Amino acid sequence: MEVQYINPFISAMNKTLETMLGILPKRGQPYLKNNKITEGDISGLIGFAEKNIIGSVAISFPQETALFVYEKMTGDKLTTLNRDVQDSIGELANIVAGSAKTILSGKGLSFHISIPTVIVGKNHHISHKAETPIVVIPFHLQDFTFIMEVTMKISKQLSD
Amino acid sequence: MKILVVDDSITMRRIIVNHLKQGGYNNVIEAGNGVEAISHMAGVDLLLTDWNMPVMDGLTLVKEIRKSPTFSSVPIIMITTEGAKAEVLEALKNGVNDYIVKPFSKGTLAEKIQKVME
Ligand SMILES: [Mg+2]
Repeated sequence: MEVQYINPFISAMNKTLETMLGILPKRGQPYLKNNKITEGDISGLIGFAEKNIIGSVAISFPQETALFVYEKMTGDKLTTLNRDVQDSIGELANIVAGSAKTILSGKGLSFHISIPTVIVGKNHHISHKAETPIVVIPFHLQDFTFIMEVTMKISKQLSD
Repeated sequence: MKILVVDDSITMRRIIVNHLKQGGYNNVIEAGNGVEAISHMAGVDLLLTDWNMPVMDGLTLVKEIRKSPTFSSVPIIMITTEGAKAEVLEALKNGVNDYIVKPFSKGTLAEKIQKVME
């Protein structure tokens, strides 16, 4: 998977968190995922599909990060990953995927995005759609961390 | 002014309602999809709706409102992740008054409401 496909997801994440939380996250060095297990306690997954493309994006948060993000978004302080927090992570995944979709559609790559799936629990497994390598992008959000996972199989080149 | 906020995400509804209350709009009701929205339309002065929702999506809701004898003139702002040109045009063609792409700021929402309610 090439940088030109990853960058729109990073831009989308930056824009989403900067607009919704007022905090610009700091990106770490991307790496390839080498096991099936995700570090986060809660993840939001969105799949995308079209004739020439199949893939998915997941955002995965430790509990403390998810609760921090939820509080920043809604003003409410919660202590567990309840249904409201699960909804917020799903909607966040939806917005990031939608923003990336908008950027990619401007480059001639159009696709539909699915309704988000939210997975909760220690060491859970995220079922990405394509069997292609998964790129993991670590982020810092003030003192908190989270990751984004992206995988995409494309049988068509982007136009610039 | 009575505002109806329609979104399947309870978080997004909470964010929008918070923004509205901070902007001095206190008469706000909520719905989680298009069907629920239609049953809450009585007395509504402004409709803010998401696009992608289960049961009935926002575009279908807009079409239903625009052909309703009672509610067809209610201003509608669509608030959605769908930011591609083709989608914006389709929404406008079907009678949306204005369009906000998620993520959006409190300022953008306030501006668009003012513009639509002028
Ligand atoms: Mg939605």
